[in-house]
Amino acid sequence: MTHRPYTPWLFLAPGLAICSLFVIFPFLNMIVLAFTDASALGGGQFTGVDNFVRMVQDPKFWAAARNSGLYMVGVVPPLVLLPLLIAMLVQKVVPGIGIFRTAFFTPVIASTVVVGLIWTWLLDSRGLVNNVVEALGGTRIGFLTDSTLLLISSMVVTVWRGLGYYMVIYLAALANVPKDLHEAAMVDGAGPVRRFWSVTVPSLRPTMVLVGALSAVNGFRVFSEIYLLSGGSGGPGGASTTLVMLIQSVGRGLTGEVGYASALSVVLFVILLGLLLVTLKLNRREDQL
Amino acid sequence: MKRRTFLAGLAAVPVAGCGLSGTSNTSSSATGQVTGEITFQTWSLKPKYTDYVNGVIDAFQKQHQGTTVKWVDQPADGYLAKVMADASAGSLPDVINVPPDLSFPLAKAGQLVNLDESLKDAKPEYLDNAWQAFEIPGKGGCYGFPWYLNTGPIFYNKALFTQAGLDPDKPPTNFKELETQALQLAQKKIAILGQTPSIADFGLYGVKLFENEKFTFNEAKGVEFVESYKRMYDAGALIPEALTQNYTGAGAKFMAQQTALNPGSAYDLGKFKTDAPSLYANIGISTPITNTGSANMFLHGMSVPKSSKNQATALAFGRFATNAENQVKFAKLASIFPSTSKGGDDPYFTTEDGTDEARVRVAAAKQLKTAVNYTPVQFSDQMREALLQQLADAMLGKKSPKQALDDAVAECNRLLK
Repeated sequence: MTHRPYTPWLFLAPGLAICSLFVIFPFLNMIVLAFTDASALGGGQFTGVDNFVRMVQDPKFWAAARNSGLYMVGVVPPLVLLPLLIAMLVQKVVPGIGIFRTAFFTPVIASTVVVGLIWTWLLDSRGLVNNVVEALGGTRIGFLTDSTLLLISSMVVTVWRGLGYYMVIYLAALANVPKDLHEAAMVDGAGPVRRFWSVTVPSLRPTMVLVGALSAVNGFRVFSEIYLLSGGSGGPGGASTTLVMLIQSVGRGLTGEVGYASALSVVLFVILLGLLLVTLKLNRREDQL
Repeated sequence: MKRRTFLAGLAAVPVAGCGLSGTSNTSSSATGQVTGEITFQTWSLKPKYTDYVNGVIDAFQKQHQGTTVKWVDQPADGYLAKVMADASAGSLPDVINVPPDLSFPLAKAGQLVNLDESLKDAKPEYLDNAWQAFEIPGKGGCYGFPWYLNTGPIFYNKALFTQAGLDPDKPPTNFKELETQALQLAQKKIAILGQTPSIADFGLYGVKLFENEKFTFNEAKGVEFVESYKRMYDAGALIPEALTQNYTGAGAKFMAQQTALNPGSAYDLGKFKTDAPSLYANIGISTPITNTGSANMFLHGMSVPKSSKNQATALAFGRFATNAENQVKFAKLASIFPSTSKGGDDPYFTTEDGTDEARVRVAAAKQLKTAVNYTPVQFSDQMREALLQQLADAMLGKKSPKQALDDAVAECNRLLK
C-alpha cells in the first residue's frame, strides 16, 4: 500500500484550520496586544513593557494572583483524594450502584449558572444554611460577604462540582489495577488500609498526577464560582478577585483596557505553563526512582 | 516533547482570545436618498414588543417606498459584548439601540454620526435633558436620538416601617431623613437599603460629580454622604450583601422583604403585584429621595454608526421610530415615558384613574420634566466597579470615607484617559 505524502495533511486540515483560527491566531494576537495600549475600539500603540511594569506596581494584580494561588492550594488536595475515595466506593458492582454514580456525576453536567444560584441561595446571609445556624442558636455567618469565607465557599463549590468528573477518571484507572496485586497483598496479610496505600495509590500515581495537574490549572484560573457567588463583584472591595476575574474586569466593555488585559493573560499563561512543567518534572523524577 | 507541547496548548487555550483588529469607517452620505435596506438592532424587546416594533417598521416602509428594515433583537445578556464585537469589526448595524453610557465611547472613538450636524432641525423635537444626555460633555454634538425614558418613585415596605415605630405615611424624602429613619429601623434589626450609593445617588445628594474633564465626587459633600452611609452600615441599616450588590440584587432583596426601601419604576409595581403579593399589600410609594429637588432619569436612544452604508435611511428611520407618535404608543405598552417634547402631553401621562399604576405613572411623568440623568456618560462599568469596591472598603472601616473617595476618583480619572 502506498499513499501520497500529503494525504495525512488532508485529514488534518479541518482540525488544523479550526485550531489556527480559534486558538493559535488569537493566542498570538494576545501576545502582540500585551505590548500595546489597545482598547476595545482601537488597535492601540506599541508601549513596550509598560503593561508589565504597571502590573508589577498594581496591588490588584498581586491580590488576584494571591487569591488564585490560594484557591489552587485549597482545591487540589480534596480534588485528588476525595474523588479517589468515592471511586473506590462506587467501583463495587452491587445493585443500585448506578444511582450513586449518577448522583456524584450530576453536578458536572449541571449548568454553572444554576449551580451558582443554588449555592448563593444556600449561603446567603438569609439563606438556608444561615437559617439553620440561627435556629441552632448561632449567629449568621457571612459566607458571601466576608472575603476569606467567600473564597472558601467558592472552593467548596469547585470541589463539589469536580468530584464526579475526577471520579470517572479514577474509575477508569482503578479498573486497570491488576487484581492479583491485591490478592498477593491479602495473602501477605495486608488489610484494606495497607492495600490502599501500598497497592492502590502506587498503581494510580500517574492518574493522581494527571488529576492534580488538571485541578491545579482549573483552580488557578477559577472564574465562574467566585463570579456567581459574589454577584460579579469579587467580594467586598473586590478582595476575593482572582486573576481571571481581574482579566475580565479590566478588559470588558467598550472602555476595556485590552492591552493590559492581554498582558495579564500572558502572565497567567506563563504561570499555568510553569505549573504544568513542574508537575511533569516531579512525575518523571518519581518514575525514575 | 509531545507531552510538553500538549501541556503548553492546554495552558494557552483558556487565556487566548482577546483578539482585535482595527476598525474602519467607510461612511456614506447622511443626506442621500431614503431607500434601500438597513439593519435595526434593539435591546431585548422580543417577544413582548414584537408586534409594536414590526408595526413601526411597517409604517416606515410604507412611508418610504423602496426601504427595507431588517430588525435584529439581541438579548440583554451579552448585549454589550455584541456591540463591542461589532464596533471592533467596524460592522455595527445601521441603527442601534444604546443608552448614553454606551453611545459615549463609540462617539468618542468617532464611530457615530453627529445628529447636530446631520439633522440640524431634529433637536426641538426632543426634551432638552434627553437630547443633552447623548452629547459629549464639553465638546457638543449629539450622537443618539433620545428614545424611551424612565424615572421612578421609591417603594417602601409600610409593614416594616410600622414595626419600627415609624409613620408609614411619612417615608424619607431627602438623605437626612433617610439616615434618621434608617437608624430607627436598624434598632429593630430592619435594614433599610440593599446597596451602597451609586454615582447617581451622589448626584441626588448634591455632590458635584464631574467638572473640567475630571471626576470630582470626592469633594466635601461627597465625603459627608459616604460618612452618612457608614453610620447607617455600622448600625445595621444596610444588609451585608449591600457591599457587593448591584441594582438588580438590591431589588430582589426588597422583593424578599429583607430591606425596607428601594428605588424603582412603574415597571416594578407590576412585578410586585405578580411576584410578591404579600409585599404588594404593604407597598408604599413616594417621591425619590433627593437633596436637589430633581429626580434621576434613565434613558435609551438610537444611534447611527458612521460605518452605515445607508446613513440617510438609517437617520430617517431613527427619527421616525423615536417620533412623538411612536414613542407614546410604546410608552403605553411598556411602563416607560417618551423623550419627545410633545409626547408627555398625552392624557395618559397627566390623568389618574384611581389605580396605583396610574398614580405612579402620572407622578413619574411630572418628575421627568425636571429630572436629570445624573450618571455622567463618561462613567464606565470599570468606574462603577471601582466606586463599589472603594465604598465597601469605607463601610468595612478599611479606609476613611475621604481616602476611599480619593482613591475612587483617582481610578476613575485614570480610566478616563
